[in-house]
Amino acid sequence: MISITHFLIVSACIFSLGIYAILAKRNAIMILVGIELIINAAILNFVAFGRYDKIHYGGQVFALFAMVLAAAAVAVGLAIILNVYRHYRTINPDQITDLKD
Amino acid sequence: MNEFTYYITEFLNHIIGSIPLFGAELLLIATFIVSILGSLFLAKRFPQATFNITCIGLILTLFILLQQYAANTVGGGFFDLLLIDRLSIISRLLMGFSALVIALFMRQYALKTKNARNVSDAYSILLTATLGLFLLVSSTHWLMLYIAIETVSISSYILVAYFAAKKQQSEAAMKYILFGSVCAAIMLYGLSLIYGFTGNLNFASQEQLTGLTSTPNVVMGVAFFLLFTGIGFKLSFVPFHAWTPDVYEGAPTAITAFLATLPKVAVVVLLARILQSWTASPFFYSDILIYGVTAVAIASMLLGNMAALRQQQVKRMMAYSSIGQIGILLMAALVYQGDNAHILLYYLTIYTLMNLAVFIFIDRLEHQLGSTTIADYRGLGKKQPLLFSCFTFVLISLIGLPPTAGFMSKLLVFSSVFDSFQSTGSTCYLLLLIIGASTAAISLFFYFKIPTTAFLKDYKQDSTVQNPNDSQVDTLYILAIIFSFSLLILGLFPSLLLNILK
Repeated sequence: MISITHFLIVSACIFSLGIYAILAKRNAIMILVGIELIINAAILNFVAFGRYDKIHYGGQVFALFAMVLAAAAVAVGLAIILNVYRHYRTINPDQITDLKD
Repeated sequence: MNEFTYYITEFLNHIIGSIPLFGAELLLIATFIVSILGSLFLAKRFPQATFNITCIGLILTLFILLQQYAANTVGGGFFDLLLIDRLSIISRLLMGFSALVIALFMRQYALKTKNARNVSDAYSILLTATLGLFLLVSSTHWLMLYIAIETVSISSYILVAYFAAKKQQSEAAMKYILFGSVCAAIMLYGLSLIYGFTGNLNFASQEQLTGLTSTPNVVMGVAFFLLFTGIGFKLSFVPFHAWTPDVYEGAPTAITAFLATLPKVAVVVLLARILQSWTASPFFYSDILIYGVTAVAIASMLLGNMAALRQQQVKRMMAYSSIGQIGILLMAALVYQGDNAHILLYYLTIYTLMNLAVFIFIDRLEHQLGSTTIADYRGLGKKQPLLFSCFTFVLISLIGLPPTAGFMSKLLVFSSVFDSFQSTGSTCYLLLLIIGASTAAISLFFYFKIPTTAFLKDYKQDSTVQNPNDSQVDTLYILAIIFSFSLLILGLFPSLLLNILK
């Protein structure tokens, strides 16, 4: 029997994977993938918790909106990264450091 | 499915009844659609079409908000997704007005840089950002707030990236979107946890408060930390401030002015609402939240003002000083109790006026000199007395010295913090007061670098810096001078504004 704990453990694992992908920062695209992983972990949580919210279905509605917004943010992010690649010929954040103290 | 048929009429009536509350936002949405169509079909024949549509839309929105203000509308709509009260109406008026100034600013920027590209879409994006900001201050429901925060964030990413022609500008845009999306995603995870523990998404509702009380403390602490990551990014307080200097320096000045004012206003209002409903209820984190906000405010004030001391770039200096200013804004949000909204709103209004004026002056000098380094301002005070006198006056107001409005707004915030200290006896309020006053003294040194360079050093002709000419007078410049004078008038007669805000 799969209980809510299983969902929460899976989502916590996905969240940690996302954080790792962001902190490793080899590549801007990988950071975007990490962001997607975190958002999906949150969506999984929302849907799992939403099962207990029979009146408002707040979790499921939230999951739908979160997916739409994540897609929008990633679309803008990819466009910006493409623009950066045109100027720098790299998308490794460690090598893009013109602006600093 | 049948059990819903009884409710459908009731639901529909409720939704139809809520529409008048949503008037200003609906008008913004309509303006957005018209402006997109305008940039598609009219841009070739009338290059200013989108700008004009945007301005007309924003003015009509302000008109609707004034009607709401006059009618003193209070109420919730759309099943508690929307909350209209005094605070939301006045902060939306402030943000609508600032958006109008930013639209003018962007037009000026596009005209002066002689950008060959069609910039009309940027105005449409400004409208969506304004829509998100409007929703942010008029809701207590996490779903609405998350949508609003993401709307503002995505619009800001596009605005920063839209004018990016140089290397540094594209770098600023990339840093901004990566940092921002990470913080928003982490905040979403925190929200999912809070939803799971409480079963409710409205942070002002009783169910959420009782849910928060019965949740294990450690888990709740994690959820709060994740949640405040997202809010911290938008407000750029320590330790989520790392993006601010880079983005402020790399973005065009018009967009920097936008980032420094409007989102800050909206998120401070949101934070004030959260703190008001959470610290009032007796659960484990209500005290710890106050300590946390105090610690963050103190860290922001110290780090922002210290780091601003050694900046040579004026935009970078303003970025660090805005991190310092956030400390005071957090103090204002902390003492918000519902009935003293006028103090918060007065501070926010003055903060917006000061920052808009400073960035207009910076932009004007940037176009004349082709540089934003403070050292390049040397000797210009005698050449452009009006600009630099007003600039100096606004900087005095930012420090918070009398007789400016900056002084009055800080005085109001500090005195209400002192009242809270006397009524609760908590040392964190006292610490806030001490650090707030001492960092104001630190800020004297870096703000005064500009007038001392401009007035006390001799003008030197430099081959790298263009020869400044002060012949052009434009709307924006006049507006900035009016802002400077209104800072003086509001500093001498604060009741003029306070009576409107009460």
